[in-house]
Amino acid sequence: MTDAAIKVENITFSYGDLEAVGGISFEVAPGEILGFLGPNGAGKSTTIKILTGQLTPKSGSAQVLGVDVTKDDPEMQAQIGVCFEEKNLYDSMSGQENLKFHASLFGIKDVDTDELLRRVGLADRAKDRVAKYSKGMKQRLMMARTLVNTPKVLFLDEPTDGLDPVSSQSIRKLIQQEADRGAAILLTTHDMNEADELSNRVAFINEGKLYAVDTSENLKLKHGKRSIRVRTRDGAGVTEQIVSLEESGAGEALRAAVGSPNLMTIHTEEATLEAIFIQMTGRGLEG
Amino acid sequence: MSRPVSRASIIGSIVKKDLTEYSRDRLWMFLTLLVLVFMIIVFWVLPDRVDESIPVGISGLGDPAVLVGLESTEEEGLRLVAFDSAGDLRSVVAGDADAWQTNGGVVVIPDNSDAEKPEGAEKANVDIGLAFPADFLTATASGNETTVEIFVDAQVPDELKSSMSSLVRELAFAVAGSPLPVDTANPQEVYTVLGEDRAGNQVTPRESFRPLLVFLVLLMEMFGMSSLIAREVQSKTVTALLVTPATTGDVLAAKGIAGAVLGLGQAVILLAAINVLGSEPLLILTLMLLGAVMVSGAAMVAGSLGRDFLSNLFYGMMFMVPLMIPAFTVLFPGTATGWIQALPSYPLVQGLVKVATYGDGWAEALPDVGALLAWCVALFVLGWVVLKRKVETL
Repeated sequence: MTDAAIKVENITFSYGDLEAVGGISFEVAPGEILGFLGPNGAGKSTTIKILTGQLTPKSGSAQVLGVDVTKDDPEMQAQIGVCFEEKNLYDSMSGQENLKFHASLFGIKDVDTDELLRRVGLADRAKDRVAKYSKGMKQRLMMARTLVNTPKVLFLDEPTDGLDPVSSQSIRKLIQQEADRGAAILLTTHDMNEADELSNRVAFINEGKLYAVDTSENLKLKHGKRSIRVRTRDGAGVTEQIVSLEESGAGEALRAAVGSPNLMTIHTEEATLEAIFIQMTGRGLEG
Repeated sequence: MSRPVSRASIIGSIVKKDLTEYSRDRLWMFLTLLVLVFMIIVFWVLPDRVDESIPVGISGLGDPAVLVGLESTEEEGLRLVAFDSAGDLRSVVAGDADAWQTNGGVVVIPDNSDAEKPEGAEKANVDIGLAFPADFLTATASGNETTVEIFVDAQVPDELKSSMSSLVRELAFAVAGSPLPVDTANPQEVYTVLGEDRAGNQVTPRESFRPLLVFLVLLMEMFGMSSLIAREVQSKTVTALLVTPATTGDVLAAKGIAGAVLGLGQAVILLAAINVLGSEPLLILTLMLLGAVMVSGAAMVAGSLGRDFLSNLFYGMMFMVPLMIPAFTVLFPGTATGWIQALPSYPLVQGLVKVATYGDGWAEALPDVGALLAWCVALFVLGWVVLKRKVETL
């Protein structure tokens, strides 16, 4: 891949004797969402901290927009946006004041806070102090803060963790809009559906190691069964048939099932990302 | 795309944000105002003069001529209070009765009496009494032996007790018309007062308390700043700052400036209210600015180390207690030993005392300004290291 916005080569990091990141490599292109999928403690947040200059890798190299992340380059930092897992906002200030202050750190004096707050559904709470915001509102304000400098690279650390479905959906929509705008996005999550829905590619990380980096479809094709489960009514009972797509005659069998007046359901038998993750790492995503 | 942003602009933004946060913290705003008002009230309530004379009670001297002779001792700082009887004098010195000075003489009221204080009378605090016997004048004039009782409160220094003995002997020689065994004019005593002669112009309690009051205001600012920094660290908002073009240096510089603005602002209000800025205002403001920066450095260390309000308070106290010691030594002159002089707040207090109390200028206070500047740098570097290490572990 050329012109990667994020380029990571074999980086490592340890907290004392505990290896948090053990030699991982990946790239993220502009306009691409890479879903970093792994359970708590897998090394997702540590990787983001390294890429945003909060931690220095013990070995390996990492570049964001072509700049070595250990260089603490203000010009590079002016073009990234980070959404933290913790709600690190100034509670005594309003949503609008939080955005204006953050924008001022980038030298942006004419930031359109109304538009940003409208995008995250907080326009009517702009002047309320953040201390009065709900958890979901704080998370949406965090996203708005991340976008204040129209970043070329976004690091989103569990942006929908613990949110209600409506708040989660609005944040996912925002993330997709940013990718459509051309931003490279590294999205850490342990929500398989979120990764599946948003990511162009997913990376499986566990205990600091990358197990796979590929599109969801490829992973499912590689690790799932190419078969279809057909259920038909059979008098008072139900008959279930597995049609393997690898075998000849699969087309006729499917046409017959679809034409049957007793057809109840047809399901593909592809594996879920979670099942593939467990298959590859031997560990679930929750926990 | 954002434009390149200057360090000054980033620091200015963080300072503005810090001051906004501080102004919205009702607890610290209340404490800040309370301490400021309290210090101003304390200052103006304190006595602004020193009574340099020692009241000495006497009894048993009927001849006014002798009293006139004794009263010449007022030049030596003794103020005579005449009692009617040795018993009254003894009970007053012993603390069993109060003596009230009226136009008609001294009225003694025992503690267990229901009698009220005479109208318009002023209390005479007598700790030393000379009870002359009725035959003192005739006995000394005829050369016969006689005894003068000297009553002294237990807390009266030994030097004063012995001077009372001398006074009695001197009086006896005067009454007897005999010359003193030693000619007081030979050898002559020449007093050379080194430094400013404060006789008749002693440092008043109000003046002594000035550095302590100013320092307490700065310490309040230290607690306020450390609370602000601790909140920034604990809520991890500092990490949100450091993934922007802002650096650790910018954050520290901003904290220092915000702390200095808050501390200096409060100190200037206090100094103006307690009438200190009149003499060498620029020098005093320089000292206060450095003092405010110094406590901001301490606040950074305390704020970075704390995990919650209580631990923040604990680390704040760890700084506050030693930093306050030099301010207390002003109240007890001569107690500033070597290790006290090595404390960071000593040059600040010393400089303030020199300028505000003794009217010294830049030349005299320059060593203190230099030492204070060095401490500011040291505490800031320490604060930098501690805060940076803390941020790395968030």
